[in-house]
Amino acid sequence: MREQGLAADDPVLRLDRVGLSYGPESDVLADVSLSLPPGSLTFLTGPSGAGKSTLLKLAYLGLRPTAGRVSLFGVDTSRLNRRDLAPLRRRIGVVFQEFRLLDHLSAYENVALPLRVAGAQERAYRDDVIELLTWVGLGDRLDARPATLSGGEKQRVAIARAVVVKPDLILADEPTGNVDEEMGDRLFRLFRELNKRLSTTILIATHDLGMIRKAKAEVLRLADGMVVRVSPQALAPKDAPA
Amino acid sequence: MSASLSPLLPKEDAREAALFFVVCALCFLAALSGLVSRSAYAAADAWTDEVTGQITIRVRGDEAALGQAVEITQATPGIASARPITRGEAEELLQPWLGAGGVPVSLPLPKLIAAEAASTANASAVIDALKKSLGAAGLDTIVDDHLVWSGDVRKAIDLAGLVALIAVGLLGATGLAVIAFATHATLLARRDIVELLHLSGARDTYIAGLFERRFLMLGVQAGALGALLAFGGAAFILYLLRQSDAQIWLLPQLSLSLADGLILGTSPLIAGVASMIAARVTVMRSLSDMV
Repeated sequence: MREQGLAADDPVLRLDRVGLSYGPESDVLADVSLSLPPGSLTFLTGPSGAGKSTLLKLAYLGLRPTAGRVSLFGVDTSRLNRRDLAPLRRRIGVVFQEFRLLDHLSAYENVALPLRVAGAQERAYRDDVIELLTWVGLGDRLDARPATLSGGEKQRVAIARAVVVKPDLILADEPTGNVDEEMGDRLFRLFRELNKRLSTTILIATHDLGMIRKAKAEVLRLADGMVVRVSPQALAPKDAPA
Repeated sequence: MSASLSPLLPKEDAREAALFFVVCALCFLAALSGLVSRSAYAAADAWTDEVTGQITIRVRGDEAALGQAVEITQATPGIASARPITRGEAEELLQPWLGAGGVPVSLPLPKLIAAEAASTANASAVIDALKKSLGAAGLDTIVDDHLVWSGDVRKAIDLAGLVALIAVGLLGATGLAVIAFATHATLLARRDIVELLHLSGARDTYIAGLFERRFLMLGVQAGALGALLAFGGAAFILYLLRQSDAQIWLLPQLSLSLADGLILGTSPLIAGVASMIAARVTVMRSLSDMV
């Protein structure tokens, strides 16, 4: 999965003084700088409405910043045209907060979607997809449509879809928001395993202070349009959902 | 787990049924226009071919003048045959206008000669020579080579052909606009899929390909049905015309000629390709608004 172009010490994701506004008086992000080294596991937290999802959207190339620069895998994305962004997107796995599963596809087909887009043949990925769904506890729901899945099950399908291509970077927006603590721990262990075994760089936006404290990973806090590094113990209850 | 993967673009039953109907109707009208104008052209060609080289000479005067005119005509180089039209033949020609009861004996009928040029290639030169010979003999005659008639028919058919061509063009443009509109509507309705594919790293051409294939199939199927209905419709109209008592002197001949087959065969393909192109342009333009 890994491609050439990323030097050993180049950050996988780098935001330099990134700003995003929808008008003169509406800055969503004011001056955000952050850098994720290869193989790092980082949490992004902050109060609701601080712009965590927007920051992730900039990182997965769903938006262009109105100021500053977003670099992925050592490439300044502002210098690329639309056509050249597609290969970068294929190296990123995204867990969307609202899942974004396709209703007319089964759980199996939803998970296989990025592989299908990449042009892989079904016989080449079939067993991997089934194994992954079994691992997240959905081995008996392969044919289930999203409408018949619970919130937690949908979330697990969304996570499986994000990790199925073994991406270089995983961006997860509240990945444990709809699952119980036990499943939350299990999903986090999946992220941890990908991070350790495949050196996948992971950025998780979350309010789950319990998970952050247990993980012992780097924590970034987004507030007032800026990102600061904090220690897990310094996080205040306001970073948790009301 | 299902044996085959579901299409990435789900079927839009209600919307696509309406679009299928519209494309089918447009193809029906376009193919019908094409078939009818092609048939009219074929009939006009056959008719003008038949009258080209035919010469009718009207003689004002007595039987002696008629005999002299026949002799001069037969002697004119380039004339293959010439004979006077009998009263019986003239009555037969007038039957459609005067009825089957016969022409009153007291009614004077024009004295006519039916002649034929040996070759249609130099018919005009032969007719000019004939006119000079008849005039030199002091005979009062009118030589009709049917060029005026056939010219008028050709002009009328050309005009009808132009109208048919404009109609086909307008129908085609309408079809493209409808498909572009439908593609845009599908795109808006399925923006979730398009966005997800886009963010999953799908290239624009990959996403456009999903819509292209969908609308190509729809265009071909709707076009095939429209063309089939057009053939049935044209055959039915001509059948009704032939059953009526009306005298239709230029009735188009409907047959499965190569040209008809071409019109019927290409309609679905044109509809499919036009649908595909309209879908592609619409999708590519919409995707260019995304990051």
